Amino acid sequence: MIEIKSVYKTFADKIVLNNVSTVFEPGKVTMVIGRSGSGKTILLKSTIGLSSVDNGEILYNNRDFFKSNIKIQRKIREEMGMVFQGGALFTSATVQENVIFPLDLFTDWTKAEKLKRVNFCLNRVNIEDANNLYPGELSGGMQKRVAIARAIVLNPKYLFCDEPNSGLDPQTSIVIDKLIKELTLEYNMTTIVNTHDMNSVMGISDKIYFLYEGQIEWEGVSDDIFNSENQNLNDFVFASEFFRKAHSSGTINGRMVKQ
Amino acid sequence: MNFLVLIGKYFFLMKTVFSKPVKRKIFWKRVLEEIDGIGINSIWIVSIVSVFMGAVLALQVATNFESPFIPKYLIGFSTRETMILEFSSTVVCLILSGKVGSNIASEIGTMRITEQIDALEIMGVNSANYLILPKIIASVITFPILTILSIMLGIFGGYMVSFFTGIVAIPDYIYGIQVFFVPYNVLYSIIKMIFYAIIITSISSFFGYYTQGGALEVGKSSTNAVVASIILILIFNLLLTQLLLL
Repeated sequence: MIEIKSVYKTFADKIVLNNVSTVFEPGKVTMVIGRSGSGKTILLKSTIGLSSVDNGEILYNNRDFFKSNIKIQRKIREEMGMVFQGGALFTSATVQENVIFPLDLFTDWTKAEKLKRVNFCLNRVNIEDANNLYPGELSGGMQKRVAIARAIVLNPKYLFCDEPNSGLDPQTSIVIDKLIKELTLEYNMTTIVNTHDMNSVMGISDKIYFLYEGQIEWEGVSDDIFNSENQNLNDFVFASEFFRKAHSSGTINGRMVKQ
Repeated sequence: MNFLVLIGKYFFLMKTVFSKPVKRKIFWKRVLEEIDGIGINSIWIVSIVSVFMGAVLALQVATNFESPFIPKYLIGFSTRETMILEFSSTVVCLILSGKVGSNIASEIGTMRITEQIDALEIMGVNSANYLILPKIIASVITFPILTILSIMLGIFGGYMVSFFTGIVAIPDYIYGIQVFFVPYNVLYSIIKMIFYAIIITSISSFFGYYTQGGALEVGKSSTNAVVASIILILIFNLLLTQLLLL
């Protein structure tokens, strides 16, 4: 479980996170949505410790990340898996080398054991016969799946995804979404996904936070999102023509919504 | 003020770089990879430049020593001394700062902007230590070897030009490269090269590591790394010569 308590963050004089408090629970996919510049990325970066906070606490199973020493911070990070927007695969390494990398660093397994785990993870994300290919030889969807395989190879407790569907076609996006959901349940991970993609939000979210100008303006589940009274959330959700039409027709993904 | 911040950031990064690696086996594997990338891959450029410079030095000295009172063996002597004292350390390093330095800055800078460094940090890896320390160690190991190679090839270049043009008799040239030899000068050259190795790799890594933005900024980091390395090499050349030779 990750607890975020009264987090403040400013850049120059601009407040980018303003008293953000929330809890991310294990076994659930929590989605953070909001317009570009709303503070989603900085919230994610602060949560994983890539960016410091001016005030507040970020607790990983009651361990305060920023107040911990480097050793404990590294220990916490070993429990994290992250899927970056661009995949962030090591471009000069093959698929196999990318996925085996965390095992090389943090386990004392034999080469055979490591390869077995790598192949298991690659099969789990439906990547086959690509061990010796380089990231540049893979499609965007495959790169994301390799990034997921690398993220889960050490059985992480926490999975972070920064816009995992960005640049992907709708069908591939659904595949990636399903994978994230299945893996979250399989490993009982605390999964946090930053996204703009309302299809993902409707498809796999267990909990949704809407961030607006550095503050959590709304939280709830996908069933409630269309019935919200929050104007900023409605502006965000119904910016899409599809969602406007679906909303006026009364159903989205087979769910009844308020007229 | 910005300059002081930059220096502070540099030493802060170096503090992170010089820490215990996560796994020794992986670390030494990385050092070997960097020895290949930084050292072995630089042999050809150092060899070509050194042979030609040695040849040109011998020719230039020969054209300036026309007096019958100046012994011809001084052509060999001058070629050797110039290669040992200045060319094979300082000039070779100025060339390497362009080749190796820009390569390091652009490699690390690209890793930064494509979030590969963030990915390392998230895995619990000390990215500065993992990426930069093997480069520094590899350069400290290989640059002195490149210096020795450069000295030998420069003297060989002078020999070749003497052989083919007859500007000096071969026995005179051979005598010249042996006479008044001070072994300490080679040590001086190697000590300078070790300092330059640390300057080139750490400065270039620093500029790459703190790259922000996109491809354009990677190019700027690369240029800044080369310029800063060259200036520091020249300053350290003066300081080390004062300290070690006088």
